[in-house]
Amino acid sequence: MATRTDTAASRRRFLRLTAAGAGTLTLGSVLAAGVPALGLSGSAQSRDVEVLNYALLLEELTAAFYQQALARAGLSGELREFAQVAGGHEREHVAALRKALGPKAKKAPRFAFGKAVSTPQRFAATAVALEELAVSAYNGQAANVSKPVLVAAASIVSVDARHAAWIRAIQDRRPASQAVDVPKTRREVLREVDATGFVRS
Amino acid sequence: MVAGGALALVVAGATVLALASRGGTEAWVPLSAEVPANDPLAPPLASGLAVPHPQLLAVRDASTTSSWAPVVRPLRLRAAPSATAAVVARVGVSTPERTANVVLVTGRTRAAADLWVPVRAENVAGWAPRASLGGYESVDTRLEVDTHALTATLLRAGRVVFRAPVGIGTANAPTPTGSFYVRNRLTRYRSPFYGPVAFGTSARSSLTDWPAGGFVGVHGTNRPDLIPGRVSHGCIRLRNADIVALARLMPVGTPIEIR
Amino acid sequence: MRLELSDLDRDGALREAAAALPDETRKDFLLRTLAGGGAALAALVLAEPGRAASKSDVEILNYALVLEYLQAAFYTEAERRGALRTRTARETARVLGAVERAHVRALREALGTAAVARPFFDFGGTTENEPAFIKTAVAFEDLGTAAYKGQAYRIDSPALLAAAISIHSVEARHAAWIRYLAGAPPASSAFDEGKSMPEVRKLVASTGFVVQGPRTKARAEPRFTG
Repeated sequence: MATRTDTAASRRRFLRLTAAGAGTLTLGSVLAAGVPALGLSGSAQSRDVEVLNYALLLEELTAAFYQQALARAGLSGELREFAQVAGGHEREHVAALRKALGPKAKKAPRFAFGKAVSTPQRFAATAVALEELAVSAYNGQAANVSKPVLVAAASIVSVDARHAAWIRAIQDRRPASQAVDVPKTRREVLREVDATGFVRS
Repeated sequence: MVAGGALALVVAGATVLALASRGGTEAWVPLSAEVPANDPLAPPLASGLAVPHPQLLAVRDASTTSSWAPVVRPLRLRAAPSATAAVVARVGVSTPERTANVVLVTGRTRAAADLWVPVRAENVAGWAPRASLGGYESVDTRLEVDTHALTATLLRAGRVVFRAPVGIGTANAPTPTGSFYVRNRLTRYRSPFYGPVAFGTSARSSLTDWPAGGFVGVHGTNRPDLIPGRVSHGCIRLRNADIVALARLMPVGTPIEIR
Repeated sequence: MRLELSDLDRDGALREAAAALPDETRKDFLLRTLAGGGAALAALVLAEPGRAASKSDVEILNYALVLEYLQAAFYTEAERRGALRTRTARETARVLGAVERAHVRALREALGTAAVARPFFDFGGTTENEPAFIKTAVAFEDLGTAAYKGQAYRIDSPALLAAAISIHSVEARHAAWIRYLAGAPPASSAFDEGKSMPEVRKLVASTGFVVQGPRTKARAEPRFTG
């Protein structure tokens, strides 16, 4: 079960953050502070760092995917617009996560997407899969992180969910008919990532 | 799951590519292999809410569901969905018992310059401006009164859930036949004549010059010995135990068919 | 005052609507409703037996429940009224209605006797007029996402938190879908911000959709013919 053991100092910092937002934690305050600066005690902070690096990997993967697709998949019209906007969002996610992690951010691996970015149809199918995977990954980690990181993660996961619905809408598919987005464990998610073969190092 | 399926499509294409390009010289460690056996990021993912599978409204529901709405502004009921059509009735915001007057909604809203709703108001059918009505409520019950068998039957979602003998109007003041609806529910009044609970309806008896407009109710009685029978001034009377049971099952807005 | 969205900017239009404060009785009623009624905030057992929910969690669940009631009632009414013209709008009401009804059932089950009763709603013509339906649906789904997000960090129970986050990402999908239908950007920013409880209450109150139920029961002498 996830436990969050905070020192008195970090609790004070946390309260300062909430006071600044008139009782609500805002994303801006969280990202401005950065996770290492929050000074949570050892195990809580190292868990935050681990989750953020895990999220960072997935965002790097998706950002690189959109970038490659724009270069090679022959996208036009709505699909192109989607790739541009969503890709921009993923790059912003990467930047925010890197900033939050500071020196603890892991280096991005190399990616290659092969046939997945060879045609608009494959691009669209892969985009759905990657965005859905990110949503289930974040949802699976919600209970593992400190409150400030939760605020940040929640702000990101809903955007990825919007991307998933958007690309489905472009393909004229039904809106999500599930009532909940099923969370996945880290091992499950990384197994799916491995299976794509997109990660090269 | 769709995500898994789509990834499988991707896998089929990409794995072949991956195998081809790796050539066996790079040592590639799968990401999942780096996850420790007791992953600190893997608490039980049991959700604190049991969310059921989404269910579409059954087609059956449409035939057994009806809607009603309160009258929030005095309205002119018109023969057609237009502000220039003939006025067939004026409908006020209150019942004689000072409860909110309600109308039965009988069909789809028509959008012209404004929205018009087909309704049954009191004894009359016509079109009401949407702006005169409040929020819709729906019920899945229906009351059927048989003036020959002298019974009242309540159906819910098409199934019989209640039946009881009734007293109805005499030959001189018969209970009207036709389509009506329940307008209010009254309790804690003084008169034992009406039993413990009474329902006002949109039906008018033949005694229309009655002080309060001559509306008919469904209520209890202090003369259970007269039920079943043709004994009233138009009202539908049930024995007190029966009206109490009915009151547990029948919401305001329930349509009433009297045959 | 009906909800008007002159543009589909997620925040701007709603803020505009909220700036005109609702009349006192409606606002008070709504605040009472959203506060969870007050009575019977007993400890309750969630899907995992043996885990009782804190008073704060109960308040948050009831807050979420009112928003789900609102959305479920809106889509259900739109489907039942049958006035929407296009296939996609009808499909939206059908599918999203089913999902929101499932959310209502889940929250009611979790809350048991502590669940607030369903309020009365008057959606004006927004369930019977397609452009109004789309605009209102956009506003609702964006609001639902922001509302869950605004409460996530306050939830005590990790299991409840996991559930809330998983529901909130579904609301985000809905928001993007309907925005797409409306010709608005499905995801206009890289980060979605949450909204606080007071903010959300104010916005909901400003729509005028939550009303006092019509007074159809009374302690009054029947005035029937007898």
